Amino acid sequence: MKRGIFLLTSLLIASSLLVSACSNNNSSNNSASNTKSTTTPATTTQETPATTVGLTEPFTATDLSKLPAVAQKRTDTIIVGLTDPSGAFTPYFQQSGYDGNVSSLLYASLVNVDDKGLPVPELAESWDISDDALTYTFHLKSDLKFSDGSPLTADDVAFTWTILHDKAYDGDSQVLTLNVVGGAAYKAGTATTITGIKVTDPKTISVTLEKPNATALVTLGSNVLSKAYYGKDYKFGQLDYIKKLHEKPVGNGPYTLEKFIPGQEVRFVANEYYYKGKPATEHFIYKTTEGDVWQFVETGEVDYASFSATQENIDKLKGLGYLNVIPYTPSTYGYLQANLEHEQLKDKAVRQAIAYGLDRNSIYVDANQGAGAVANIPASPISWSYTEEGINPYNYDPEKAKELLDGAGWVVGTGGIREKDGKPLSIHYLGSKSKNTDIFIAVAKENFEALGIKFEPEVFADFNSLVSKVEGGDYDLVSFSTAMLTDPSDGLLQFIDGEIKGYDNPKFKALYDKGLSTTDIEERKKVYKEIYQLLNDELPVIFTNYKKTVYAYNGKIENVTVSPFIGLAGSLPKWSLK
Amino acid sequence: MSTYLSKRLIYMFLILFAASLLIFCLYAMTPGDFISGNIKLTPERKAELRDIYGLNKPLLERYGLWMSNAFRGDFGFSLAQQKPVLQLFNEYIWNSFLLAVVSTFLTWVIAVIVGVISAYKQYSWFDTLVMVAIFAAMSIPSFFIGLFLIKVLAVDLKWLPPGGMLTTGSNATGIAYLKEVIHHMTLPVVVMTLLGVGSLTRYFRSNMIDVIKQDYIRTARAKGLTERKVLFTHALRNALLPAITLVGFELPALFGGSLIIEKIFNWPGIGQLYMQSFGLRDYPLLMGFTMFIAILTVLGTLISDILYHVADPRVRLQ
Repeated sequence: MKRGIFLLTSLLIASSLLVSACSNNNSSNNSASNTKSTTTPATTTQETPATTVGLTEPFTATDLSKLPAVAQKRTDTIIVGLTDPSGAFTPYFQQSGYDGNVSSLLYASLVNVDDKGLPVPELAESWDISDDALTYTFHLKSDLKFSDGSPLTADDVAFTWTILHDKAYDGDSQVLTLNVVGGAAYKAGTATTITGIKVTDPKTISVTLEKPNATALVTLGSNVLSKAYYGKDYKFGQLDYIKKLHEKPVGNGPYTLEKFIPGQEVRFVANEYYYKGKPATEHFIYKTTEGDVWQFVETGEVDYASFSATQENIDKLKGLGYLNVIPYTPSTYGYLQANLEHEQLKDKAVRQAIAYGLDRNSIYVDANQGAGAVANIPASPISWSYTEEGINPYNYDPEKAKELLDGAGWVVGTGGIREKDGKPLSIHYLGSKSKNTDIFIAVAKENFEALGIKFEPEVFADFNSLVSKVEGGDYDLVSFSTAMLTDPSDGLLQFIDGEIKGYDNPKFKALYDKGLSTTDIEERKKVYKEIYQLLNDELPVIFTNYKKTVYAYNGKIENVTVSPFIGLAGSLPKWSLK
Repeated sequence: MSTYLSKRLIYMFLILFAASLLIFCLYAMTPGDFISGNIKLTPERKAELRDIYGLNKPLLERYGLWMSNAFRGDFGFSLAQQKPVLQLFNEYIWNSFLLAVVSTFLTWVIAVIVGVISAYKQYSWFDTLVMVAIFAAMSIPSFFIGLFLIKVLAVDLKWLPPGGMLTTGSNATGIAYLKEVIHHMTLPVVVMTLLGVGSLTRYFRSNMIDVIKQDYIRTARAKGLTERKVLFTHALRNALLPAITLVGFELPALFGGSLIIEKIFNWPGIGQLYMQSFGLRDYPLLMGFTMFIAILTVLGTLISDILYHVADPRVRLQ
């Protein structure tokens, strides 16, 4: 028969992929995703207008009898929706944030963080930090056990840190950025052990860094893998065997894996060897909810879900009557990355003019029914380092913006567009396809027009395409949002590691290093205040917004708290059904 | 016949080869790769990972590597899911297949029956009613029907589950398991059948109308055969012939999954897995799945050609 038809068919198949890619929607918010998903487009969630109240206080269920029968019947099982766990449940070796949510229940950490992001002991009883802030010594609790009943010792911790330095390691653990003494030699294959890691006795382990780094305590104090289980087949340069163990995890967290049904459920059962004792509720299930989560909340098929804090969502959740609702601010911030290699945005005055001239309150708060707030520094309001002292709020002020532009030499030319040296002032903006980008473009177009700036928006359906366009440098402004930030330095990394091209300020670099050189919180607070004031004035990126979300859960569940840094994992062992 | 087959097989091979190269290039040249979406990585680490995954190699070398592995039956590991691609197919495709095979069967049965009757009673009130219903079903978007049915039947009336394939946490086996799955697949199957039945009914109706006007139908009636026999033995058989071509095209659709339906009904199928993988640029999975569909398409056409020959000896295969 005709070959043409076949070729045509294959072409059709291939091109339909491209078309379908454009229909990819970012239905966020329906999961308990606290860990960073690998694709976090700059979708801002919504915010409340100043006239409405939003949700400031936790709301308690008014009528538990309205709870759907399916949920009434569950007495020893809690079900939470999670967008899409893939089955890679070994911490450090997973690519999806949803798998991170799963492994955060299967594995406990040496050191965890509290609601402010400050370190608190978990598997480690205590720790010492040497005076030069280079050597960290962890003292483990007694009688720690893995879920198979085998003991957890300092050797397991050493093993965990060691395999992260393997040259075949392809995960995104930040341990590698700490520069452990001897780590590079191990990675290069010139040493068989990492000299900086020392096991003193089964309960004591220390690690020495080449350079002080205040994030080391929490980064090193993460999950512990069993050497007997995960290290059995380990040979340097060969980590593929770990993939076979992904769905048979041996952990030390509150729950163990009972069954994973791809695309449907992850079932957990309480771990009797958990160091704090067996969790209160015997069974826990993460249910895959690809589409909309409302239908599962309304039918009682899931007990817990997160929503954007729009007035509409809050009213609907309260109206159901059987849900407790708690407000929550994620530890992220949104920003407009400016192309500092382009002439017009190199000038600080122009970036400040944009900050003044964009009506951020309308875009991120009012148009989003209050599910957000305006950001002016690279830290979330829930961080211990957050401050508003000496911070310019850049309140919407078009006159001030015009003044700044005039001062920078951009004068209004023909057609109302500002010019300098015969070049018009134009802004090529990139955004991911979402409702919020549409709002941004609508308002920004008006704002920029009023300032005499030519605004050329371009919208991408696909996040990776957007990133690749940014890497190519063909843009002036682009909307982004950070991944979850634990330490204040996390939110600053992009200004130092070359991601924001063209920002090179020795004063900032010195301050950044200073902020990491001590572990004293009060000392660090001072440094970060100075950094925030500096960046707030210089605006290497234009800070835009914080998200606001709410968590709604079955009113029968008690002892629920949600940490901005570790999500529900922290309080889950205490959750009980009344 | 055998020369025909061997010729066709060589063609198929060439076509698949060309298709694989084309598809590979399309994926590789779509802007962004698996690494670029991870906003937590520093530029150095990104470069290091591209090296580990071989993403910095020239395009043709990457294609060559993929091809030689594929020939040895190794379709690689999914980058995002950290599992062998074939294992993932096995975990997801059968769920999609289940939905597709049931709804395709229902679609065909309904379309044949309704098509024949409305052709026989052309321009009757029944025919008009069917046409109106068909156009209505064809013009409503699937996501709307899907969400509407969920709202009414699952959320408000609570007759059917709102999505998924099993009751969460259920340990049912045997008959109970079967019942649970049927309960869960009712809504998606209804929607898929509704969407597919329209065009197929029209197809059978027009074929049937053509056939009924043929001389041999008049002859059959003149012989004194019962109307039922004339309609179903003489007319329908001939009207079904062109439909054999369609059977071949159904083959890839049976395994390809349905993106929108799977998403709305939270069905653990391959369609939504594929969609996600595209967003993440999970090359091994994308390549593997697209090639799988390409192979099925080519096979499907071959099968329908052969079936055509079997059903109608007048058609010569050359």
